[in-house]
Amino acid sequence: MKGLIYASIAVAAVLAVHQAHSQSIIIANPSVKSAQVSTNEIRDVFSGSASTLKDGSHVTPVLLKQGAAHEAFLSAYLGKSDSAFRAAWRNLVFTGNGSMPKSFDSEAALVEFVEHNPGAIGYIGSGTPHEGVKVIAVK
Amino acid sequence: MKHVIAAIFLGLGAMCASAQGLDELNLQIHGYATQGFVYTTQNNVFTMQSSQGSPAWTEAVVNLTARPNPKLRVGVQARYFLLGEFGNDISIDWAMADYKASDKLGFRFGKVKTPSGLFNETQDIDPSYIWVLLPQAIYTITSRTPELSHLGGVVYGAFPAGGDSGKVEYRFWGGEQVIPTGDGDFVNQKREGLGLNGPLMTPFFGGALHWRTPLPGLMVGASDSRYQSSSQGLANGGTENFLPYNIEDYFAQYTHKKLMLAFELNRQAQETTISPAQSAAVAVDFIKRFSQSPAPAVSSRADDRDWYGMATYKFNDKLSAGFYHMQGFDRQADLGPDRYTKDWTVTGRYDFNEFIYAKVEEHFIDGADLNYFEAQNRNGVKPDTRMTAIKLGVSF
Repeated sequence: MKGLIYASIAVAAVLAVHQAHSQSIIIANPSVKSAQVSTNEIRDVFSGSASTLKDGSHVTPVLLKQGAAHEAFLSAYLGKSDSAFRAAWRNLVFTGNGSMPKSFDSEAALVEFVEHNPGAIGYIGSGTPHEGVKVIAVK
Repeated sequence: MKHVIAAIFLGLGAMCASAQGLDELNLQIHGYATQGFVYTTQNNVFTMQSSQGSPAWTEAVVNLTARPNPKLRVGVQARYFLLGEFGNDISIDWAMADYKASDKLGFRFGKVKTPSGLFNETQDIDPSYIWVLLPQAIYTITSRTPELSHLGGVVYGAFPAGGDSGKVEYRFWGGEQVIPTGDGDFVNQKREGLGLNGPLMTPFFGGALHWRTPLPGLMVGASDSRYQSSSQGLANGGTENFLPYNIEDYFAQYTHKKLMLAFELNRQAQETTISPAQSAAVAVDFIKRFSQSPAPAVSSRADDRDWYGMATYKFNDKLSAGFYHMQGFDRQADLGPDRYTKDWTVTGRYDFNEFIYAKVEEHFIDGADLNYFEAQNRNGVKPDTRMTAIKLGVSF
């Protein structure tokens, strides 16, 4: 019985760690006024159909190339797979209606870019260090 | 207008040569290439010898864009296009500057995409959709060049519809449409000695509204383009006059998770005349045989009313499938197969990875109102055809 309990605890711990890693948070350059935005605003900004938030801040989205935070972000806010997401951006690029957002290999590189570029907005795993950037709550 | 395009090129070059780093300009290069294969059971299509199987369908696109500041983008896209006897040359898809003052107001000018209908802006962007061929009654590949873009500008933006009523996106455009002499609409005519002496330049303007409804994933919209009168000399010494006309579109699209549904209705009524009488003598014979009109004298009328409904489903990241049914009718044509086209289409797409994909499609076509060409169908056009179309594509 004890073995079963220990096994259950171990599985729960693994799932908790996985959950923490797969959650994403929205970060922005401190020049962005809002501390809170809507899910629709995030969807519109990262799908290329909007470039300002309701507070009037002009924002430029930046992406991760891959990883758990990237997948979690796409699933939570865009409802798309990575391939569908990039295909939608390619539509904008080839019709002349948009430019592909900058993509980063690592969350640290993305944080550094957001920190130093006014209007930049991106996402990282909730456990990733993010000093120098602003965390945006999503309601 | 060529000067405007040249200025954009010069601007791009100047920015690249300026003190700004490439990274600051957000300079990007993207492209794709496709190779198609078409086999038909009866009629030859698209000036191909498709009843024997034809690979004469190749496209390659490369674009260069720069964003010197967050509100300004400039770019150019070039295309190599070969389809049967069409193209085999390189042309500019678009070359424009785009200034987006806010989400409510943006401007685009130069050679710009014409944002009419549901898929007009993307109909030539093969990687963006599942189909090998979009419904041909509305998105006719042999006549698509003048529909895709125009010389002039587009004003665009979006605003809330009020309360919880969603969002309305608007686009208004104007400028000049350029129809090349080799356009599909004039192939049969040229064969009769009535080819245009030069490109047809038609002033036009239009607008489109897309309502993103409160129901997530549902968009309904409409667009209308007004084409002014234009004329062009003919190879036999006559003149062809195109009277003013409109192209109206009504459409809806619904996406939910892996499912996409779309519907579009299109109407285009057009009248042309050929003068003087000595030129018309040939024209009358031509009209009797090829136009969809009972044709008094030298006037030719068409009233095309086309629609389709489509559905696609994405099984997983790699595999998608779809179906559409399309009908096109020319209300001015004589009763018979020349008056209509009906097409039942099933398709499948497989994405090997982010860059490489393949498509396979089967069309079951009834009727003959589908830009078949006399030179490739010398024994006459049959009332039904099956078509198998395959495409391989790579994009970056």
